Amino acid sequence: MNSLAEKISLARQKWLALNTGKTPIIYIGSATCGRAAGALEVLEAVRETLKKHRLKAYIMPVGCIGPCYLEPLMDIKRAGYPRICYGSVTPEKARRIIEGFLLGDDPLPELAVGHFGQKGDSSVEGIPRFFDLPMLKPQVRVVLRNCGFIDPENIDHYLANDGYQGLLRAFTMGPEAVIEEVGEAGLRGRGGAGFPTAKKWRICRNASGDRKYLICNVSEGDPGAFMNRSLIEGDPHCVMEGMLIAAYAIGASHGYIYINSEYHLAIARLKKAQEQMRAYGLLGKNILDSGFDFDITIKEGAGAFVCGEETALIGSIEGRRGMPRSRPPFPAVSGLFGKPTVINNVETLGTLPNILRNGAAWYRQFGVKGNYGTKTFSLVGSIRRGGLIEVPLGIKLREIIFDIGGGSWKKFKGVQTGGPSGGCLSEEFLDLPVEYESMAAAGSIMGSGGMIVLDEDTCAVDLALYFLHFTQKESCGKCSPCRVGTWHMVTILEKITRGQALAEDLSQLQILAETVKRASLCGLGQTAPNPVLTTLRYFRAEYLAHIKEKYCSAAVCKELVEYSIDPEKCNGCQQCVAVCPTDAIKGARAEVHRIDQYRCIKCKACYEICRYDPLAANAIIISSRRGVA
Amino acid sequence: MRNQNTTVNVIIDNKPYRVQKGLTILQVAEQFNIYIPTLCSHKDLSPFGGCRLCIVEVEGMRNFPTACTTPVEDGMIIRTHTAQVQSIRKEILQLFLSEHTSSCLICDEKEECKQYLGTIRKAGVTTGCRYCPKDGQCELQEVVEKLEIHEIEYPIYYRNLRVEKEDPFYDRDYNLCILCGRCVRMCQEVRLANVLAFKQRGRQTIIGPAYARTHLEAGCEFCGACVSVCPTGTLYEKARKWEGIAEREEVTTCAFCGVGCQIRLQIKGSRVIGSLPADDPLVNNGQLCVKGRFCITELVNGPARLHQPLKKFNGLEVEISWEEAVALAAEKLSRCSPEEFALLVSPNCTNEDLYLAQKFSRVVMGSNQVDTPARLFYGAALNAYLALFKKSVPLREVSRASTILCLGLDTRFGRSVVGVELRRAMHRGARVVTVHPREHSLALTAHEWIRPLPGEEEKILQFFARFSAGTAKAVPPETNLPAERLEEIARELKESPQTVILVGPEVLHYSNSAEILTAVKQLADHIRAGVLPLPTQNNLLGSLLMGTYPELLPGGYSIADRNRTNEIQKVWKKELSLRSNGWNVANLSNGKPLKVLYLIGETLPPGKKAPAEFVIFQNIYPADPSLSPDLTLPAAAFPETDGTFVNGEGRIQRVRKGVNPPGNALPDWEILCRIARKMGAKGFDFSEVREIHQEMAALVSGFRDFKHPSREARPFALDRELQLPGSRISPVNLSDRKHPFLLITAPLEHAYRGFPLSAHVEGARVIFTEEVLHMNPEDAKKARLEEGDKVVVTSEHFKKVWPVKLTPELSRGILQVNLLNNELIGPNPYPVRIRKSHV
Repeated sequence: MNSLAEKISLARQKWLALNTGKTPIIYIGSATCGRAAGALEVLEAVRETLKKHRLKAYIMPVGCIGPCYLEPLMDIKRAGYPRICYGSVTPEKARRIIEGFLLGDDPLPELAVGHFGQKGDSSVEGIPRFFDLPMLKPQVRVVLRNCGFIDPENIDHYLANDGYQGLLRAFTMGPEAVIEEVGEAGLRGRGGAGFPTAKKWRICRNASGDRKYLICNVSEGDPGAFMNRSLIEGDPHCVMEGMLIAAYAIGASHGYIYINSEYHLAIARLKKAQEQMRAYGLLGKNILDSGFDFDITIKEGAGAFVCGEETALIGSIEGRRGMPRSRPPFPAVSGLFGKPTVINNVETLGTLPNILRNGAAWYRQFGVKGNYGTKTFSLVGSIRRGGLIEVPLGIKLREIIFDIGGGSWKKFKGVQTGGPSGGCLSEEFLDLPVEYESMAAAGSIMGSGGMIVLDEDTCAVDLALYFLHFTQKESCGKCSPCRVGTWHMVTILEKITRGQALAEDLSQLQILAETVKRASLCGLGQTAPNPVLTTLRYFRAEYLAHIKEKYCSAAVCKELVEYSIDPEKCNGCQQCVAVCPTDAIKGARAEVHRIDQYRCIKCKACYEICRYDPLAANAIIISSRRGVA
Repeated sequence: MRNQNTTVNVIIDNKPYRVQKGLTILQVAEQFNIYIPTLCSHKDLSPFGGCRLCIVEVEGMRNFPTACTTPVEDGMIIRTHTAQVQSIRKEILQLFLSEHTSSCLICDEKEECKQYLGTIRKAGVTTGCRYCPKDGQCELQEVVEKLEIHEIEYPIYYRNLRVEKEDPFYDRDYNLCILCGRCVRMCQEVRLANVLAFKQRGRQTIIGPAYARTHLEAGCEFCGACVSVCPTGTLYEKARKWEGIAEREEVTTCAFCGVGCQIRLQIKGSRVIGSLPADDPLVNNGQLCVKGRFCITELVNGPARLHQPLKKFNGLEVEISWEEAVALAAEKLSRCSPEEFALLVSPNCTNEDLYLAQKFSRVVMGSNQVDTPARLFYGAALNAYLALFKKSVPLREVSRASTILCLGLDTRFGRSVVGVELRRAMHRGARVVTVHPREHSLALTAHEWIRPLPGEEEKILQFFARFSAGTAKAVPPETNLPAERLEEIARELKESPQTVILVGPEVLHYSNSAEILTAVKQLADHIRAGVLPLPTQNNLLGSLLMGTYPELLPGGYSIADRNRTNEIQKVWKKELSLRSNGWNVANLSNGKPLKVLYLIGETLPPGKKAPAEFVIFQNIYPADPSLSPDLTLPAAAFPETDGTFVNGEGRIQRVRKGVNPPGNALPDWEILCRIARKMGAKGFDFSEVREIHQEMAALVSGFRDFKHPSREARPFALDRELQLPGSRISPVNLSDRKHPFLLITAPLEHAYRGFPLSAHVEGARVIFTEEVLHMNPEDAKKARLEEGDKVVVTSEHFKKVWPVKLTPELSRGILQVNLLNNELIGPNPYPVRIRKSHV
């Protein structure tokens, strides 16, 4: 253990030297979200600029710090200033910032997003504190505490920031006490179902078996969810440490990380972390002289949504088709290769080091009774400030959407939580506290953390159809309610969106949804009707409008909308004429154009060009007219 | 009194039950005749929980648990038929039906249409949908009736999938599939074959082999186990597709190889319409191979079956009565001296038929010239092969073995029940080593595959034998495996607590087969291993015990044994002057031509003139035209006769008559009796098989109870060696530059009574390829040959023309032909050269 203590103190010294030294640090948010926005180009520009001016700086690629809507993010910390964050950085901007700040000593407040210094730091006048920004202020960073602050590929950074302290404490406590502590903290499964983590562990620990397994579930398949990926990309060691703690508690000798194979960066970072752990004696036989043996295998899944279901996931690791089986026996009793197995979500595992390091009482300060702690969400959809957030449980939806997210772009309509398994909650639920029970009572679920905000441009029926389509395609086909039932639901929803449905279809849809929910084998089927059931409950008027009046208020359902041109606005630029694939738009230059409804295939090409082309005048209107059934 | 610990109390539908712990709710319900609908559960398979029809209400449990997957617990309160459960079941069933053709399930005309179908009319019939052969046996129909579904509230979508008919033996119409997964579980859990799997997702989910291969390509063994468990008409046996439901069953023994599987003949009226495995724990344990499962029906019901005796008359075959036929045979036979008569009988016949055949020859004809063609089949290896039976162990030993060595064994089609045992043993932790020159069913699954050149098995086995004997100089031969690995295997064999050596047929036709088999015996002696030879002829041991060889008397004793001869004379009440004059099947005419050649269940190689003035051909199908027998007698196949077989393990097994022979055909024993009586011989007044069995049991030990034979596996030891057929071809130099290929000529393996199964069973034609030249595709490419091209194969001894079949399983430089006869069996492998035939 000495050697790790030495390494920790060395890491701390280096970290301190880095943060207090003269060399400026340039942080580039280069997780997948940053890369998609162009972080690597920014990085290249930074390198070039530094080279050009013969500047020395420590470039630190970091994980996602949260405000994805501002990506790419670049932060600079130089002596005499606190760290300053710049948003929406382009290579050009990056050059300007480096030249301005590093050469010219001007922090360029007009480009800065926030600083990480003390309140009232005079060196950064005109720049708000990063954590006082409206998006960050209501947040609590427990799991994500290191994301954006350390180099995820450097174990020393993690160690310098209290890394593996939770594990060390766990070793001094013994497995029973670890379970006790986690139970005391009230941690519940962050995969969405909220099963008490300690209870699951206890069952597995007490189950008899010569071998036990721990599986980290990173099968993140919900459309619009990226919390797990971001966490691994930003701080892989906290997940690894959590795995060690969990395995120690349940007595597992081997762990698997089941991760979508398309998460290339996350996989690479996990592999790197694995190597480093081995080199530091944190993996393998007799870890840190505790007598505890543990090793981890990274298993890349082929991407089936159903493999997030634990029994299907186990099947997939075993080399079988990812297909759920009936429970009992529960995996904690008979799981992977028939041995007792605990499957924990990434976030659950990522929380553990914090609980073990700071104690259960510390963790219980976040959240509310029965729902202690924090939860990460990926806030997406029609939202002004989208990104990765972490909030204490019990927070109201309104606070998340309006305070953190800044509200929807257009008039708020609802929020879909829990991805395809969750429900769509309407405006009246904005004051609903985000807790496992309250979400379920409202017909949705907490889910693993996808939160899609919808505004008036979203059609509730179309939304339900989208999710049902998804679950139908991802159904493993084993049980008929899910395989056939969801498909009939899709066809009925399609009929509704085409305006061909009758009132009876609605009741059939309701019955079907109930059957699928109650009779399906696994969680996928049992929750698949949630989007339909909730929209039927909270947006019934929209369904009725589609059926009775052939009216889609969001003007989304193709069969129910008409394209027209606002003669007041049209400037006759002929841009739309050029893009129309069916020659449905006629009109001479500088004259108001007309759309031939017969030819129009509603492809939206004219709408897009009219809206975004600088020459055009945003004159195309997509509208749905109320008709009579 | 049941132990408190092993039982639990439950309440089902308000009634208390005390039931065994560990059972599922469904099993308990079945025990007490409480109906719970289900489509995916099956007694032989693991619980699946896929169809969801067996949902029940259990107090205190969330949702509706499925009865098939939920074990009973003490104090459980279960409700199987609440209104809610029933309504969900109906909904689920409707979902099934919405993608399943349903006119046979919910049509109003259902009852009437069946009635009117029987009418004869010229106009098109407007009712009576007949697209599913499972009508009346369909489990879906049953559930629909029980749940009283009369209409489907959902739109019905026909999946419009192509009916898959490309594979032999069974068709697949996945439009009828309800994805219950029984076939998949059968293939994966019971057969351990893993050919079938669920494919795709969502509504495209379908069952089949991965990567869109055909079953043939995917390695399907065509055991038919999946067909047997299909609850709908999705999987259906081609040969019995529209036969309907069997009326009765008869358990008998399959006659297609020496494993001796117990089968349940499916009988409707006077026809065998199918064969299913019997749950026999001694031999096949509820499994069958493709031959037993699919080939019996077609072979027995073949349209060419002989119905009436035929006489050659002016070059034509004329139907005659039995009286006439018997009189003709008797007349010809009575003019024969013992040396002018010869009788060949098939080792596919029952013991009773075999016993009577040799008795006929020895008593009626006074001739010792009786033989079976087994001598030709095994050739020079005959005695070495028979010696292995001294060490034979039952097939069940395979499951207890820690190491299993397989020699020349391919269990894909024939003997696939042995393959299942091997895979089960492997699952239990046994190590399997296979020695085979070509890719075969065990190549992928076995732990070690030693791949010698054909015939070089000798060196490997001799090495193993020497190694285990501790001989100082045991040098591993050169094979595909490095020397150290071979040594490891040899050590493993030596040290393994229990080894079984399985000897398949593909090691019997080399010029050095005798040496190979001797090495096997030596190895087995050294390591105290059990040997299980798997003979091709189902009743090979029976034929030896019955004495249908010139050297042997009933009981397997030597003809020179005076004591035995005296005993037999007493039973037969006839003075015998028997001596071995050197005659056997290999030199039929023994110099001078025969007057009468009597072939029972045997035929001569095609194109060969029989060396006899008068040929009696007694069989189930007509002879090859080239043989042109003078008298053809229609015989019974094994499902049409009573008797016993002795399988390769030495078990006496019953053969039970399921149906009458077709037309006027008779069982072999009865024909023999009729002719003998006609000739005035005594001791042939048998009216049923039991009487023959009793007489025979007095001479052959082990036989007694005809109705219930002992069925004990017994090693078999012969007290003398049989004369080996002299080969016409002497072994040749293998490193012959002029003949770059090595040709293996394998004797006819999948046959019954001299007829290849492929001649009379449609599917067998696809899987058993006789008289085609198997060739590695690379070799073919180099020689610019394509599948089907005719090739002239030349060796020092012969020149033959065969069509090419590309077989990637073969190594390069090796050719193989499965022969229809034993003519070219000799010093295998032959060095040959090939060229494309342009004729």
